[in-house]
Amino acid sequence: MSGRLRLTLALAALAGGAPLAAQSSGSASRLAGRVPAAALPAIDSIIATAVAESLPSEPLVQKALEGSAKGIPADRLVNGVRRGLLQLRDARILVTRAVPGQPVPEGHVAAVAAALARGLPPPIVARLLTVAPNEPPGPALHAAADLVAHRFNPDSAADLLVDAHNKGLRGVRLLDVAVAADHELQRGGGRTPSDALARVRAMLPNVPAPEAGVTRRGTKGS
Amino acid sequence: MIDPRLHEALDGERDPAELPADLRESYARLHAAAQLLEAVAPLSVATRVMAEIREIALEARADGPALRLGRWLSRPRAVTVRLRPVWTLALAAGLAAILLLPSGPGGAPTPGDREGVARFVGHFPGARSVEVVGSFNDWSRGALHLQDDDHDGIWHGDAILPAGQHEYMFIVDGERWVADPLAGRYVDDGFGAGQENSLLIVRPAAAAAQP
Repeated sequence: MSGRLRLTLALAALAGGAPLAAQSSGSASRLAGRVPAAALPAIDSIIATAVAESLPSEPLVQKALEGSAKGIPADRLVNGVRRGLLQLRDARILVTRAVPGQPVPEGHVAAVAAALARGLPPPIVARLLTVAPNEPPGPALHAAADLVAHRFNPDSAADLLVDAHNKGLRGVRLLDVAVAADHELQRGGGRTPSDALARVRAMLPNVPAPEAGVTRRGTKGS
Repeated sequence: MIDPRLHEALDGERDPAELPADLRESYARLHAAAQLLEAVAPLSVATRVMAEIREIALEARADGPALRLGRWLSRPRAVTVRLRPVWTLALAAGLAAILLLPSGPGGAPTPGDREGVARFVGHFPGARSVEVVGSFNDWSRGALHLQDDDHDGIWHGDAILPAGQHEYMFIVDGERWVADPLAGRYVDDGFGAGQENSLLIVRPAAAAAQP
């Protein structure tokens, strides 16, 4: 767990709104020695662009570290990081439209970019952002992405999550809505996705909660 | 060489008044110097230590055990500790580990308000090692190794992670990158080869305990 402290400190530094220059130089020091020399200047430039545009740079740093650890060739590594920058730009456009006239809340852009990377349609993202513009959007977006990944209709999935929000479910409890819908679908008996969503809607806001304490991977409890 | 008569006078064996005038003058100077030395002469270290010991012994005889213990505890003492640098560093590292890693009742680390415990499980029969790398450890190797103590091919491990989304993969035997088959959530890694990362969403421990 020795890395935990470093990670926490790094996240705290980023969350604390470190000066742009400090963010950029901090990223460079994290990448030096890990990213191939052939890719480093281009990646540094992409990250500097993100910082200059007030976009979060941490997802790009992570993408560069990931690709380097995997041994991705330099050209594909740079393209992967550049794709991340484009997703962040798209995400900020969505967030800005959802909360017009307000400063972009911290963390929203990265969360929306992650949802887009999971394949959530932009109109669904925009709708969920509008429902609760000042709440962290990550859980609702992931719940929607979970439902879409399990072949639920995106609009119907968004309807269910909006209902859940209106009935008081917030944050990670929205993930339980997606889990409940998936369980209903897996019960079989000729149940369609629409049937499953209707059954979950009927039980709102009392969807089952996962076992406390440990986050397990998979659809059960995570 | 001192005149024997002057010596006798200084020793008190002869009346100084009987001395000739020149010796009387020398006697006066030497006598004054001797008196001055007698008045300000500091005790030697040995003398002072022995006096202290005698004082303590007297106090000890006079007081009861409780008073003696109290006096012993309250008396300032000089302690000399000699440490090798390597042991000093080890001691500092141990103290840092104790202070920085909060422990629960069972000795296991406990998550903070914005952290949760993630449990990783993978079935890799015959594997020699399985580790987890991901966005939570900067994709660095060596930070999180899974264990298979009973050699049944099921590797597992827990980690305290910041609440939120994390992408990760298993590395089997130090070289084979494998997505977690039980993850349930996956995301394209964006490097153009269609490879997917596993996706983990860590709930804050406090939120997980809520109904």
